[in-house]
Amino acid sequence: MSESDTYYIERCLDGHPDDFRHIVRRYQAVLLAHLAGKLGNREAAEEAAQESFVRAYFGMEKLREPRKFFSWLLGIADHVVKECQRKEQLQRQREIVRSFSQEAVSPELSQDYALESAIAELPDAYRKIVLLRYYGGHSCNRIAERFDMPLGTVTKTLSRAYAMLRKTLQQQAEVYEV
Amino acid sequence: MNCAKCKELLVGYIEGLLDESQNRAVAGHLKDCASCRAETAQLNELQDRLVTNGEVLAGSDLEDGVMNQIIREQKTRLKASSEVGRKQNIWRVIMKSRITQLAIAAAIIIVVFIGLHSIGNPFGATVTFAKVIEPILNARTVVLDFIVGSEETGPVMHDIIVGSRIRRTFSNMETILILDLDNAKMLTLGPSDKGAIYMDIKGPLQEGTRSYLGLVRDIVAKIEDNPNIPVQELGEREIDGREAIGFYVSDIELTIWADLETALPIRIELLQGQTQTIIKNIEFDVPVDESLVSMDVPAGYTLNEEEQDWTEFNEQDFIVVLRVWAEYVLGGRFPDNISLEDLMNLTSQLTNMAPRTEDEADQLGMSEEEQAQLGMSFGRGFVFFQQLEPSGADWHYVGKGVEFGDASTAVFLYRPKGSDTYRVIYGDLHVEDSAPEDLPK
Repeated sequence: MSESDTYYIERCLDGHPDDFRHIVRRYQAVLLAHLAGKLGNREAAEEAAQESFVRAYFGMEKLREPRKFFSWLLGIADHVVKECQRKEQLQRQREIVRSFSQEAVSPELSQDYALESAIAELPDAYRKIVLLRYYGGHSCNRIAERFDMPLGTVTKTLSRAYAMLRKTLQQQAEVYEV
Repeated sequence: MNCAKCKELLVGYIEGLLDESQNRAVAGHLKDCASCRAETAQLNELQDRLVTNGEVLAGSDLEDGVMNQIIREQKTRLKASSEVGRKQNIWRVIMKSRITQLAIAAAIIIVVFIGLHSIGNPFGATVTFAKVIEPILNARTVVLDFIVGSEETGPVMHDIIVGSRIRRTFSNMETILILDLDNAKMLTLGPSDKGAIYMDIKGPLQEGTRSYLGLVRDIVAKIEDNPNIPVQELGEREIDGREAIGFYVSDIELTIWADLETALPIRIELLQGQTQTIIKNIEFDVPVDESLVSMDVPAGYTLNEEEQDWTEFNEQDFIVVLRVWAEYVLGGRFPDNISLEDLMNLTSQLTNMAPRTEDEADQLGMSEEEQAQLGMSFGRGFVFFQQLEPSGADWHYVGKGVEFGDASTAVFLYRPKGSDTYRVIYGDLHVEDSAPEDLPK
């Protein structure tokens, strides 16, 4: 039976770094989904996810409420994304200068980039729940428990999130058709 | 059931979270309503997409990558911290060397350069003020306490002044300084280990040092010569338990309080830029044992052969001070503030350390001379800082909260008098020139 985030975090702080594995296992897919949509590139997302986990590990002492690990982790990831984007921008500029006649190398997209980028566009509160539901393997009941909200609120949030996702996906499809 | 209600329950329905009666109602509505069936189909499709994508992402395995990177980084961090530990140790040993401690203590010489050229407002000299300043000009011996910084917390220096010689002792360390201003020499004595060393203070240090009272003498003499200097009377007040009358020279932010009965100065306050100093308990022409200001090494003291050269000091010396302070004393961060008062407290902290052992000295792997050079450089760095303000430089300390080694954040900046650009010292102690409009922050 897996333990709570708080348990593993305390174990790590207590000198059992290997217990961080459990945290990685728990959140890797969530984090990848969160990052893939923002970075648009599977490989970059994996790198950024790894970097985010490592930063989280070394920053754990600063986390005042271990209960909020997940939100905190997403915050770290957002920071990593910004850094990546800055780097990427520089690189792109350099590439443009280097070979403006050559066709730009298209980034290697993950299987469903459209979906991932639509998730990335969701407002925070919606995105968190979608991420946990589909990438964190949480049931609606468990999400309700975790965020301390009525089950009805979870399903309503999901329902609205679906509507937003569909709208974004449809718009994307229209753009590509034109 | 209508369509709106159905849509509301649809997610719960798909997730299997509805109770039996709701479940039946939704199922019933879906059977009859093509539009809601289409909606359900689309929702199912989206959900499938999410599930599939979730499975794909779950297939990637970051675990080993993350754990390996953590181990790698842990190692570099450990190495870095032991590196810091090793450097700290080096400084600890150097700071504990006798010669260094003498040099540091000697560095606390109040350097004062004040130009009076800027003074020129019309003023009618008062007879009373002239009377007050007379003893300052004529006294042969003066005894006084000198406070740097705040009167409550600032360290106190006790000066015995005989002609151009000063014997100076401190409230927060035991080192004794004897200055001979005519010959530009200083003798530093360390009573605990009976060490003695001569220092050459020719040049800027001699010019600027004088005794503090010598400075006041200068000022007073110039005020006498120049009746245009504005002196403001502050009226009568009780000062240090005596009825006193005050005068204020606004151009140089100098305040003198004199005993109402004897007209002798009893308290002098001077604000120089960011440094406040107070002279109090002043007594004139008291009998003084002249051997106290003798430049001969007292019996029982061992003279260090090498005379130290204090004729020049530069930015690099000051950087040594910053390094020792941040890296060694504070373990990796810069102090909140740098003032003469802080420097004096740091000095006493360093000079009051237990002397090092032979082993420690051996471990260092540096020659005595190299160590002495570093120690001296540290002392000269103090002087560099002390003369910044009197020399007319504009300086700012911005190192609060900055970590040692941070190459992107400035900790100290100054513009020497007459220079167009600032020198900016960063957290890793590299220095850049910067135009005033390009300054960090």
